[in-house]
Amino acid sequence: MPHINSEASIPEEKLIWDLPLRVFHWSMVLTVAIAALTGYFFEEWWLDVHVYAGYSIGCLLAFRLIWGFVGSYYSRFHTYPVKIKDVTLHLKSLMRGKSEPHTGHNPVGAWMIMVLLSSLTLLIITGMVVWGGQENQGPLAQLIGYKVGDFSEDIHEILANILMFAIAIHILGVLVETFVFKHSLIKSMVTGKKATTDTKASVTIWHTLRGAFIFGLILTGVLYWGAIAPSPFMTETHVFPAYKQECGECHPAYHPSLRTASNWQAIMNNLSDHFGEDASLDEQTTQEISTYLQANNAQSFDTEVSHKIGRHDTKSMRMTDTRYWQKKHDEIKDSDFKHSSIGSKVNCNGCHQDADTGRYDDEKIKLPKGVKS
Amino acid sequence: MKSFLMLGIVAISISLSLPVSASPLLDGYAQAAKAELSSFDGFSAERGRVLFNSTHTTGKVATPSCTSCHTADPKKVGHTRAGKEIAPMAFSISASRYNDLKKAEKWFGRNCGSVLGRKCTAIEKGDFITFMKTQ
Repeated sequence: MPHINSEASIPEEKLIWDLPLRVFHWSMVLTVAIAALTGYFFEEWWLDVHVYAGYSIGCLLAFRLIWGFVGSYYSRFHTYPVKIKDVTLHLKSLMRGKSEPHTGHNPVGAWMIMVLLSSLTLLIITGMVVWGGQENQGPLAQLIGYKVGDFSEDIHEILANILMFAIAIHILGVLVETFVFKHSLIKSMVTGKKATTDTKASVTIWHTLRGAFIFGLILTGVLYWGAIAPSPFMTETHVFPAYKQECGECHPAYHPSLRTASNWQAIMNNLSDHFGEDASLDEQTTQEISTYLQANNAQSFDTEVSHKIGRHDTKSMRMTDTRYWQKKHDEIKDSDFKHSSIGSKVNCNGCHQDADTGRYDDEKIKLPKGVKS
Repeated sequence: MKSFLMLGIVAISISLSLPVSASPLLDGYAQAAKAELSSFDGFSAERGRVLFNSTHTTGKVATPSCTSCHTADPKKVGHTRAGKEIAPMAFSISASRYNDLKKAEKWFGRNCGSVLGRKCTAIEKGDFITFMKTQ
Protein backbone atom coordinates (compact mmCIF):
# COMPACT_ATOMS: atom_id res chain seq x y z
CA MET A 1 0.00 0.00 0.00
CA PRO A 2 1.17 3.53 -0.65
CA HIS A 3 2.87 5.16 2.15
CA ILE A 4 1.99 8.75 2.78
CA ASN A 5 4.49 10.72 4.72
CA SER A 6 3.31 12.00 8.02
CA GLU A 7 4.47 15.49 8.76
CA ALA A 8 6.15 14.43 11.98
CA SER A 9 8.77 12.02 10.64
CA ILE A 10 11.80 13.22 8.72
CA PRO A 11 12.10 11.70 5.24
CA GLU A 12 15.45 10.34 4.14
CA GLU A 13 16.83 9.15 0.78
CA LYS A 14 16.10 5.48 0.37
CA LEU A 15 16.48 2.98 -2.46
CA ILE A 16 12.95 2.05 -3.52
CA TRP A 17 13.28 1.12 -7.22
CA ASP A 18 15.53 -1.90 -7.66
CA LEU A 19 18.13 -1.87 -10.43
CA PRO A 20 16.38 -4.47 -12.65
CA LEU A 21 13.22 -2.32 -12.63
CA ARG A 22 15.15 0.80 -13.61
CA VAL A 23 17.06 -1.00 -16.36
CA PHE A 24 13.73 -2.40 -17.56
CA HIS A 25 12.17 1.06 -17.65
CA TRP A 26 14.88 2.77 -19.67
CA SER A 27 15.36 -0.21 -21.99
CA MET A 28 11.64 -0.03 -22.61
CA VAL A 29 11.91 3.68 -23.43
CA LEU A 30 14.62 2.92 -25.99
CA THR A 31 13.00 -0.11 -27.63
CA VAL A 32 9.53 1.44 -27.75
CA ALA A 33 11.03 4.56 -29.30
CA ILE A 34 12.69 2.43 -32.00
CA ALA A 35 9.50 0.45 -32.60
CA ALA A 36 7.39 3.61 -32.78
CA LEU A 37 9.74 5.46 -35.11
CA THR A 38 10.13 2.53 -37.48
CA GLY A 39 6.43 1.72 -37.29
CA TYR A 40 5.06 5.21 -37.83
CA PHE A 41 7.62 7.03 -39.92
CA PHE A 42 10.12 4.74 -41.61
CA GLU A 43 9.85 3.03 -44.99
CA GLU A 44 8.77 -0.58 -44.96
CA TRP A 45 12.24 -2.01 -45.38
CA TRP A 46 12.84 -1.05 -41.76
CA LEU A 47 10.33 -3.71 -40.79
CA ASP A 48 13.05 -6.05 -39.56
CA VAL A 49 14.34 -3.37 -37.17
CA HIS A 50 10.75 -2.84 -36.01
CA VAL A 51 10.39 -6.56 -35.42
CA TYR A 52 13.71 -6.84 -33.54
CA ALA A 53 12.51 -3.99 -31.33
CA GLY A 54 9.27 -5.93 -30.88
CA TYR A 55 11.09 -9.09 -29.80
CA SER A 56 13.14 -7.01 -27.34
CA ILE A 57 9.99 -5.42 -25.94
CA GLY A 58 8.49 -8.89 -25.64
CA CYS A 59 11.44 -10.09 -23.57
CA LEU A 60 11.34 -6.98 -21.40
CA LEU A 61 7.60 -7.37 -20.87
CA ALA A 62 7.89 -11.02 -19.91
CA PHE A 63 10.50 -9.97 -17.41
CA ARG A 64 8.34 -7.17 -16.03
CA LEU A 65 5.29 -9.42 -15.63
CA ILE A 66 7.36 -11.91 -13.63
CA TRP A 67 9.09 -9.13 -11.73
CA GLY A 68 5.68 -7.87 -10.65
CA PHE A 69 5.53 -10.95 -8.43
CA VAL A 70 9.12 -11.59 -7.42
CA GLY A 71 10.77 -8.15 -7.55
CA SER A 72 11.47 -5.86 -4.66
CA TYR A 73 8.57 -4.37 -2.69
CA TYR A 74 7.53 -1.47 -4.93
CA SER A 75 8.01 -3.49 -8.13
CA ARG A 76 5.33 -5.94 -7.08
CA PHE A 77 1.87 -5.46 -8.50
CA HIS A 78 0.12 -6.20 -5.19
CA THR A 79 1.63 -3.02 -3.74
CA TYR A 80 -0.01 -0.89 -6.44
CA PRO A 81 -2.60 1.54 -5.06
CA VAL A 82 -5.15 0.70 -7.73
CA LYS A 83 -8.31 0.69 -5.60
CA ILE A 84 -10.99 3.03 -6.92
CA LYS A 85 -11.06 4.75 -3.53
CA ASP A 86 -7.34 5.58 -3.77
CA VAL A 87 -7.74 6.84 -7.30
CA THR A 88 -10.67 9.13 -6.50
CA LEU A 89 -8.87 10.50 -3.47
CA HIS A 90 -5.79 11.14 -5.58
CA LEU A 91 -7.81 12.74 -8.38
CA LYS A 92 -9.67 14.96 -5.90
CA SER A 93 -6.44 16.22 -4.42
CA LEU A 94 -5.06 16.82 -7.90
CA MET A 95 -8.15 18.95 -8.61
CA ARG A 96 -7.33 21.01 -5.59
CA GLY A 97 -3.84 21.49 -6.99
CA LYS A 98 -2.16 19.09 -4.64
CA SER A 99 -0.43 15.77 -5.04
CA GLU A 100 0.62 13.89 -1.97
CA PRO A 101 4.03 12.27 -2.33
CA HIS A 102 3.90 8.48 -2.72
CA THR A 103 6.85 6.23 -2.11
CA GLY A 104 5.97 3.83 -4.93
CA HIS A 105 3.55 4.70 -7.68
CA ASN A 106 0.72 7.08 -6.99
CA PRO A 107 -2.78 5.69 -7.79
CA VAL A 108 -3.14 7.36 -11.20
CA GLY A 109 0.45 6.38 -12.00
CA ALA A 110 -0.22 2.77 -11.00
CA TRP A 111 -3.18 2.64 -13.35
CA MET A 112 -1.04 4.12 -16.05
CA ILE A 113 1.50 1.31 -15.60
CA MET A 114 -1.32 -1.22 -15.96
CA VAL A 115 -2.52 0.43 -19.18
CA LEU A 116 1.01 0.62 -20.56
CA LEU A 117 1.88 -2.97 -19.73
CA SER A 118 -1.37 -4.41 -21.05
CA SER A 119 -1.36 -2.41 -24.28
CA LEU A 120 2.27 -3.39 -24.83
CA THR A 121 1.42 -7.04 -24.25
CA LEU A 122 -1.41 -6.88 -26.79
CA LEU A 123 0.85 -5.05 -29.22
CA ILE A 124 3.44 -7.82 -29.02
CA ILE A 125 0.79 -10.52 -29.53
CA THR A 126 -0.87 -8.78 -32.48
CA GLY A 127 2.53 -7.87 -33.90
CA MET A 128 3.60 -11.49 -33.93
CA VAL A 129 0.35 -12.44 -35.63
CA VAL A 130 0.94 -9.82 -38.35
CA TRP A 131 4.55 -10.97 -38.70
CA GLY A 132 3.45 -14.58 -39.09
CA GLY A 133 0.20 -14.17 -41.00
CA GLN A 134 0.78 -11.23 -43.29
CA GLU A 135 4.54 -11.35 -43.69
CA ASN A 136 4.96 -15.13 -43.43
CA GLN A 137 7.83 -14.76 -41.02
CA GLY A 138 8.68 -15.65 -37.47
CA PRO A 139 7.47 -18.57 -35.38
CA LEU A 140 3.80 -18.14 -36.35
CA ALA A 141 4.45 -18.10 -40.12
CA GLN A 142 3.04 -21.54 -40.71
CA LEU A 143 0.27 -21.33 -38.15
CA ILE A 144 -1.50 -18.14 -39.14
CA GLY A 145 -3.09 -17.31 -42.48
CA TYR A 146 -2.84 -14.06 -44.36
CA LYS A 147 -6.35 -12.82 -43.57
CA VAL A 148 -5.89 -13.16 -39.81
CA GLY A 149 -2.54 -11.40 -40.10
CA ASP A 150 -4.06 -8.60 -42.15
CA PHE A 151 -6.90 -8.09 -39.67
CA SER A 152 -4.43 -8.19 -36.82
CA GLU A 153 -2.52 -5.35 -38.43
CA ASP A 154 -5.52 -3.05 -37.97
CA ILE A 155 -5.75 -4.00 -34.29
CA HIS A 156 -1.99 -3.55 -33.92
CA GLU A 157 -2.29 -0.01 -35.30
CA ILE A 158 -5.18 0.91 -33.03
CA LEU A 159 -3.24 -0.44 -30.04
CA ALA A 160 -0.18 1.51 -31.11
CA ASN A 161 -2.25 4.70 -31.13
CA ILE A 162 -3.61 3.87 -27.68
CA LEU A 163 -0.06 3.25 -26.45
CA MET A 164 1.19 6.54 -27.90
CA PHE A 165 -1.66 8.36 -26.19
CA ALA A 166 -0.95 6.58 -22.90
CA ILE A 167 2.76 7.38 -23.16
CA ALA A 168 1.92 11.03 -23.78
CA ILE A 169 -0.25 11.13 -20.63
CA HIS A 170 2.43 9.20 -18.70
CA ILE A 171 5.11 11.74 -19.66
CA LEU A 172 2.78 14.66 -19.00
CA GLY A 173 1.92 13.23 -15.57
CA VAL A 174 5.59 12.78 -14.71
CA LEU A 175 6.40 16.32 -15.85
CA VAL A 176 3.55 17.77 -13.78
CA GLU A 177 4.65 15.75 -10.75
CA THR A 178 8.25 16.82 -11.26
CA PHE A 179 7.86 20.50 -12.03
CA VAL A 180 4.55 21.41 -10.43
CA PHE A 181 4.55 19.25 -7.33
CA LYS A 182 8.34 18.92 -7.05
CA HIS A 183 8.34 15.14 -6.73
CA SER A 184 11.49 14.18 -8.58
CA LEU A 185 10.11 11.08 -10.26
CA ILE A 186 12.58 11.10 -13.17
CA LYS A 187 15.60 11.31 -10.86
CA SER A 188 14.15 8.45 -8.82
CA MET A 189 13.81 6.27 -11.90
CA VAL A 190 17.51 6.87 -12.56
CA THR A 191 19.00 6.58 -9.08
CA GLY A 192 16.25 4.42 -7.60
CA LYS A 193 16.16 6.72 -4.59
CA LYS A 194 13.35 8.72 -3.08
CA ALA A 195 13.10 10.79 0.06
CA THR A 196 10.78 8.79 2.23
CA THR A 197 10.05 7.65 5.74
CA ASP A 198 8.95 4.33 4.34
CA THR A 199 10.25 1.16 5.92
CA LYS A 200 8.84 -1.44 3.54
CA ALA A 201 11.28 -1.14 0.68
CA SER A 202 14.38 -3.17 1.27
CA VAL A 203 16.21 -3.32 -2.02
CA THR A 204 19.38 -5.38 -1.94
CA ILE A 205 22.01 -6.72 -4.32
CA TRP A 206 20.02 -9.97 -4.38
CA HIS A 207 17.28 -8.27 -6.36
CA THR A 208 19.79 -7.30 -9.02
CA LEU A 209 21.11 -10.85 -9.22
CA ARG A 210 17.63 -12.34 -9.26
CA GLY A 211 16.55 -9.91 -11.99
CA ALA A 212 19.59 -10.67 -14.12
CA PHE A 213 18.98 -14.39 -13.71
CA ILE A 214 15.31 -14.16 -14.71
CA PHE A 215 16.06 -11.94 -17.69
CA GLY A 216 18.83 -14.32 -18.73
CA LEU A 217 16.37 -17.22 -18.65
CA ILE A 218 13.84 -15.32 -20.78
CA LEU A 219 16.45 -14.29 -23.31
CA THR A 220 17.80 -17.83 -23.59
CA GLY A 221 14.27 -19.16 -24.01
CA VAL A 222 13.37 -16.68 -26.74
CA LEU A 223 16.63 -17.23 -28.63
CA TYR A 224 16.17 -20.99 -28.41
CA TRP A 225 12.57 -20.65 -29.61
CA GLY A 226 13.74 -18.53 -32.51
CA ALA A 227 16.28 -21.18 -33.40
CA ILE A 228 13.90 -24.15 -33.30
CA ALA A 229 10.83 -22.43 -34.76
CA PRO A 230 9.95 -23.74 -38.24
CA SER A 231 11.56 -21.60 -40.89
CA PRO A 232 9.18 -19.50 -42.95
CA PHE A 233 7.92 -21.32 -46.01
CA MET A 234 9.74 -20.51 -49.19
CA THR A 235 7.74 -20.27 -52.36
CA GLU A 236 10.70 -20.48 -54.74
CA THR A 237 10.63 -24.25 -54.64
CA HIS A 238 7.16 -24.24 -56.19
CA VAL A 239 8.34 -22.75 -59.44
CA PHE A 240 8.15 -25.22 -62.31
CA PRO A 241 11.46 -25.63 -64.22
CA ALA A 242 9.94 -25.25 -67.71
CA TYR A 243 8.16 -22.08 -66.58
CA LYS A 244 11.33 -20.69 -65.05
CA GLN A 245 13.36 -21.55 -68.14
CA GLU A 246 11.00 -20.33 -70.86
CA CYS A 247 9.57 -17.24 -69.17
CA GLY A 248 12.89 -16.34 -67.60
CA GLU A 249 14.72 -16.08 -70.92
CA CYS A 250 13.51 -12.57 -71.76
CA HIS A 251 12.38 -11.16 -68.43
CA PRO A 252 12.50 -12.28 -64.80
CA ALA A 253 10.30 -15.36 -64.36
CA TYR A 254 7.62 -13.69 -62.27
CA HIS A 255 6.40 -15.81 -59.45
CA PRO A 256 3.12 -17.55 -60.40
CA SER A 257 1.46 -16.06 -57.30
CA LEU A 258 1.55 -12.63 -58.96
CA ARG A 259 -1.36 -13.15 -61.38
CA THR A 260 -4.80 -14.71 -61.36
CA ALA A 261 -5.56 -17.99 -63.13
CA SER A 262 -7.59 -16.10 -65.74
CA ASN A 263 -4.86 -13.53 -66.42
CA TRP A 264 -2.31 -16.32 -66.77
CA GLN A 265 -4.59 -18.14 -69.17
CA ALA A 266 -5.05 -15.02 -71.28
CA ILE A 267 -1.28 -14.51 -71.39
CA MET A 268 -0.64 -18.12 -72.40
CA ASN A 269 -3.30 -17.93 -75.11
CA ASN A 270 -1.63 -14.99 -76.78
CA LEU A 271 2.11 -15.67 -76.65
CA SER A 272 2.65 -14.63 -80.28
CA ASP A 273 1.78 -11.08 -79.26
CA HIS A 274 3.18 -10.99 -75.74
CA PHE A 275 3.14 -7.29 -74.79
CA GLY A 276 4.31 -6.56 -78.31
CA GLU A 277 6.86 -9.37 -78.47
CA ASP A 278 6.63 -12.73 -80.18
CA ALA A 279 7.06 -15.19 -77.33
CA SER A 280 5.60 -18.25 -79.06
CA LEU A 281 6.39 -21.65 -77.66
CA ASP A 282 5.85 -25.08 -79.10
CA GLU A 283 2.48 -26.61 -78.37
CA GLN A 284 3.67 -29.10 -75.80
CA THR A 285 5.57 -26.53 -73.73
CA THR A 286 2.66 -24.08 -73.94
CA GLN A 287 0.34 -26.79 -72.67
CA GLU A 288 2.68 -27.79 -69.84
CA ILE A 289 3.12 -24.24 -68.62
CA SER A 290 -0.61 -23.46 -68.92
CA THR A 291 -1.47 -26.51 -66.86
CA TYR A 292 1.10 -25.47 -64.27
CA LEU A 293 -0.32 -21.95 -64.05
CA GLN A 294 -3.88 -23.16 -63.71
CA ALA A 295 -2.79 -25.12 -60.66
CA ASN A 296 -0.34 -22.52 -59.34
CA ASN A 297 -1.45 -18.90 -59.30
CA ALA A 298 -2.33 -16.18 -56.81
CA GLN A 299 -5.15 -18.30 -55.41
CA SER A 300 -2.69 -21.04 -54.45
CA PHE A 301 -0.44 -18.85 -52.31
CA ASP A 302 -1.27 -17.21 -49.00
CA THR A 303 1.28 -14.40 -49.21
CA GLU A 304 0.75 -10.68 -48.88
CA VAL A 305 1.69 -10.03 -52.51
CA SER A 306 -0.64 -12.75 -53.79
CA HIS A 307 -3.53 -11.16 -51.91
CA LYS A 308 -2.80 -7.54 -52.69
CA ILE A 309 -1.53 -7.80 -56.26
CA GLY A 310 -1.78 -11.37 -57.53
CA ARG A 311 -5.49 -11.86 -56.99
CA HIS A 312 -6.51 -8.75 -58.90
CA ASP A 313 -7.20 -9.26 -62.58
CA THR A 314 -6.09 -6.43 -64.82
CA LYS A 315 -7.27 -5.77 -68.33
CA SER A 316 -3.70 -5.35 -69.55
CA MET A 317 -2.68 -8.47 -67.60
CA ARG A 318 0.14 -6.38 -66.15
CA MET A 319 0.61 -6.45 -62.37
CA THR A 320 1.88 -2.89 -62.61
CA ASP A 321 -1.70 -1.86 -63.37
CA THR A 322 -3.03 -3.08 -60.04
CA ARG A 323 -3.92 -0.34 -57.60
CA TYR A 324 -1.74 -1.73 -54.85
CA TRP A 325 1.32 -1.91 -57.11
CA GLN A 326 0.81 1.69 -58.14
CA LYS A 327 0.23 2.88 -54.60
CA LYS A 328 3.39 1.14 -53.42
CA HIS A 329 5.54 2.59 -56.21
CA ASP A 330 4.02 6.05 -56.55
CA GLU A 331 7.02 7.80 -55.06
CA ILE A 332 9.46 6.17 -57.45
CA LYS A 333 10.09 8.36 -60.44
CA ASP A 334 10.07 7.05 -64.01
CA SER A 335 13.70 8.05 -64.32
CA ASP A 336 14.50 5.89 -61.27
CA PHE A 337 13.07 2.83 -63.00
CA LYS A 338 15.60 3.48 -65.76
CA HIS A 339 18.47 3.30 -63.26
CA SER A 340 21.25 1.08 -64.63
CA SER A 341 20.64 -1.67 -62.09
CA ILE A 342 16.84 -1.66 -62.53
CA GLY A 343 16.26 -1.01 -66.22
CA SER A 344 12.49 -0.82 -66.20
CA LYS A 345 9.37 -1.67 -64.26
CA VAL A 346 9.52 -5.26 -65.44
CA ASN A 347 12.59 -5.93 -63.34
CA CYS A 348 11.25 -6.52 -59.83
CA ASN A 349 14.64 -7.91 -58.82
CA GLY A 350 16.13 -4.45 -59.26
CA CYS A 351 14.97 -3.62 -55.73
CA HIS A 352 13.19 -6.72 -54.38
CA GLN A 353 16.05 -9.05 -53.62
CA ASP A 354 13.72 -11.97 -53.00
CA ALA A 355 11.43 -11.45 -56.01
CA ASP A 356 12.16 -14.93 -57.36
CA THR A 357 10.70 -16.51 -54.25
CA GLY A 358 7.46 -14.57 -54.57
CA ARG A 359 7.81 -13.48 -50.95
CA TYR A 360 8.56 -9.80 -51.48
CA ASP A 361 9.53 -9.31 -47.85
CA ASP A 362 9.58 -5.69 -46.75
CA GLU A 363 13.08 -5.94 -45.38
CA LYS A 364 14.36 -7.42 -48.65
CA ILE A 365 13.76 -4.16 -50.49
CA LYS A 366 17.04 -2.46 -51.34
CA LEU A 367 16.90 0.61 -53.53
CA PRO A 368 19.99 0.96 -55.70
CA LYS A 369 22.22 3.93 -54.93
CA GLY A 370 20.74 7.16 -56.18
CA VAL A 371 17.12 6.03 -56.15
CA LYS A 372 14.94 7.79 -53.64
CA SER A 373 11.57 6.67 -52.45
CA MET B 1 36.97 -56.34 -65.05
CA LYS B 2 39.69 -56.44 -67.67
CA SER B 3 37.19 -56.79 -70.48
CA PHE B 4 35.29 -53.75 -69.24
CA LEU B 5 38.49 -51.77 -69.28
CA MET B 6 39.20 -52.89 -72.84
CA LEU B 7 35.66 -51.99 -73.87
CA GLY B 8 36.14 -48.55 -72.38
CA ILE B 9 39.39 -47.95 -74.23
CA VAL B 10 37.82 -49.09 -77.50
CA ALA B 11 34.81 -46.83 -76.97
CA ILE B 12 36.99 -43.81 -76.21
CA SER B 13 39.26 -44.36 -79.20
CA ILE B 14 36.26 -44.74 -81.52
CA SER B 15 34.63 -41.55 -80.27
CA LEU B 16 37.89 -39.65 -80.62
CA SER B 17 38.37 -40.81 -84.18
CA LEU B 18 34.86 -39.69 -85.22
CA PRO B 19 34.84 -36.49 -87.24
CA VAL B 20 33.63 -33.72 -84.90
CA SER B 21 30.71 -31.97 -86.45
CA ALA B 22 31.15 -28.36 -85.36
CA SER B 23 27.46 -27.62 -85.55
CA PRO B 24 25.04 -30.49 -86.00
CA LEU B 25 22.40 -27.89 -86.91
CA LEU B 26 24.11 -26.91 -90.14
CA ASP B 27 23.79 -30.37 -91.72
CA GLY B 28 20.04 -30.27 -91.25
CA TYR B 29 19.74 -26.72 -92.58
CA ALA B 30 21.95 -27.65 -95.57
CA GLN B 31 19.57 -30.43 -96.51
CA ALA B 32 16.58 -28.12 -96.18
CA ALA B 33 18.42 -25.47 -98.21
CA LYS B 34 18.94 -27.91 -101.10
CA ALA B 35 15.25 -28.62 -101.06
CA GLU B 36 14.57 -24.86 -101.12
CA LEU B 37 16.98 -24.05 -103.90
CA SER B 38 18.35 -26.66 -106.25
CA SER B 39 21.35 -24.47 -107.12
CA PHE B 40 22.33 -24.18 -103.42
CA ASP B 41 26.10 -24.56 -103.13
CA GLY B 42 26.85 -24.03 -99.43
CA PHE B 43 26.32 -21.39 -96.78
CA SER B 44 28.08 -18.06 -96.80
CA ALA B 45 29.44 -16.26 -93.77
CA GLU B 46 29.39 -13.01 -95.73
CA ARG B 47 25.66 -13.31 -96.53
CA GLY B 48 25.12 -14.12 -92.85
CA ARG B 49 27.04 -11.02 -91.81
CA VAL B 50 24.92 -8.82 -94.06
CA LEU B 51 21.72 -10.40 -92.75
CA PHE B 52 22.85 -9.84 -89.16
CA ASN B 53 23.93 -6.24 -89.62
CA SER B 54 21.39 -4.77 -92.00
CA THR B 55 18.42 -2.71 -91.05
CA HIS B 56 15.07 -4.02 -92.19
CA THR B 57 11.80 -2.19 -92.53
CA THR B 58 9.45 -5.15 -92.79
CA GLY B 59 9.48 -6.20 -89.15
CA LYS B 60 8.51 -4.51 -85.91
CA VAL B 61 9.46 -0.88 -85.46
CA ALA B 62 11.27 -1.53 -82.19
CA THR B 63 13.47 -4.26 -83.66
CA PRO B 64 14.62 -3.29 -87.18
CA SER B 65 17.81 -5.39 -86.96
CA CYS B 66 19.34 -8.40 -85.21
CA THR B 67 21.71 -5.87 -83.70
CA SER B 68 18.83 -4.07 -81.96
CA CYS B 69 19.11 -6.63 -79.20
CA HIS B 70 22.33 -8.55 -79.90
CA THR B 71 24.47 -5.43 -80.51
CA ALA B 72 26.66 -5.07 -83.60
CA ASP B 73 29.41 -7.13 -82.00
CA PRO B 74 28.42 -10.82 -81.75
CA LYS B 75 31.04 -11.28 -79.04
CA LYS B 76 29.21 -8.88 -76.77
CA VAL B 77 26.35 -9.47 -74.37
CA GLY B 78 23.01 -8.24 -75.70
CA HIS B 79 19.83 -7.25 -73.92
CA THR B 80 16.21 -8.28 -74.41
CA ARG B 81 13.72 -5.48 -74.65
CA ALA B 82 12.78 -6.34 -71.08
CA GLY B 83 16.37 -5.74 -70.06
CA LYS B 84 17.56 -9.28 -69.49
CA GLU B 85 21.06 -10.17 -70.69
CA ILE B 86 21.46 -12.24 -73.85
CA ALA B 87 24.60 -14.36 -74.02
CA PRO B 88 26.88 -13.45 -76.97
CA MET B 89 26.00 -15.07 -80.30
CA ALA B 90 29.62 -15.68 -81.34
CA PHE B 91 30.47 -19.36 -81.68
CA SER B 92 33.83 -18.78 -79.97
CA ILE B 93 32.00 -17.77 -76.79
CA SER B 94 28.64 -19.55 -76.86
CA ALA B 95 29.21 -22.72 -78.90
CA SER B 96 26.53 -24.53 -76.92
CA ARG B 97 23.87 -22.30 -78.49
CA TYR B 98 24.19 -24.28 -81.70
CA ASN B 99 23.54 -27.79 -80.41
CA ASP B 100 19.80 -27.75 -79.96
CA LEU B 101 17.60 -27.65 -83.05
CA LYS B 102 14.44 -27.06 -81.04
CA LYS B 103 15.92 -24.04 -79.32
CA ALA B 104 17.34 -22.64 -82.56
CA GLU B 105 13.99 -23.03 -84.30
CA LYS B 106 12.22 -21.32 -81.39
CA TRP B 107 14.42 -18.25 -81.64
CA PHE B 108 14.59 -18.09 -85.44
CA GLY B 109 10.81 -18.44 -85.39
CA ARG B 110 10.33 -15.53 -82.99
CA ASN B 111 13.07 -13.21 -84.13
CA CYS B 112 12.76 -13.56 -87.91
CA GLY B 113 9.14 -12.54 -87.44
CA SER B 114 10.07 -9.53 -85.29
CA VAL B 115 12.96 -8.29 -87.42
CA LEU B 116 11.99 -9.33 -90.96
CA GLY B 117 8.25 -9.68 -90.60
CA ARG B 118 8.43 -13.15 -92.13
CA LYS B 119 9.94 -16.59 -91.64
CA CYS B 120 13.61 -17.10 -92.43
CA THR B 121 14.64 -19.51 -95.16
CA ALA B 122 16.90 -22.43 -94.36
CA ILE B 123 19.62 -20.69 -96.36
CA GLU B 124 19.34 -17.58 -94.17
CA LYS B 125 19.47 -19.66 -91.01
CA GLY B 126 22.51 -21.54 -92.27
CA ASP B 127 24.23 -18.34 -93.37
CA PHE B 128 23.57 -16.82 -89.96
CA ILE B 129 25.09 -19.77 -88.11
CA THR B 130 28.01 -19.91 -90.54
CA PHE B 131 28.72 -16.24 -89.90
CA MET B 132 28.57 -16.81 -86.15
CA LYS B 133 31.04 -19.67 -86.50
CA THR B 134 33.59 -17.22 -87.84
CA GLN B 135 33.13 -15.03 -84.79
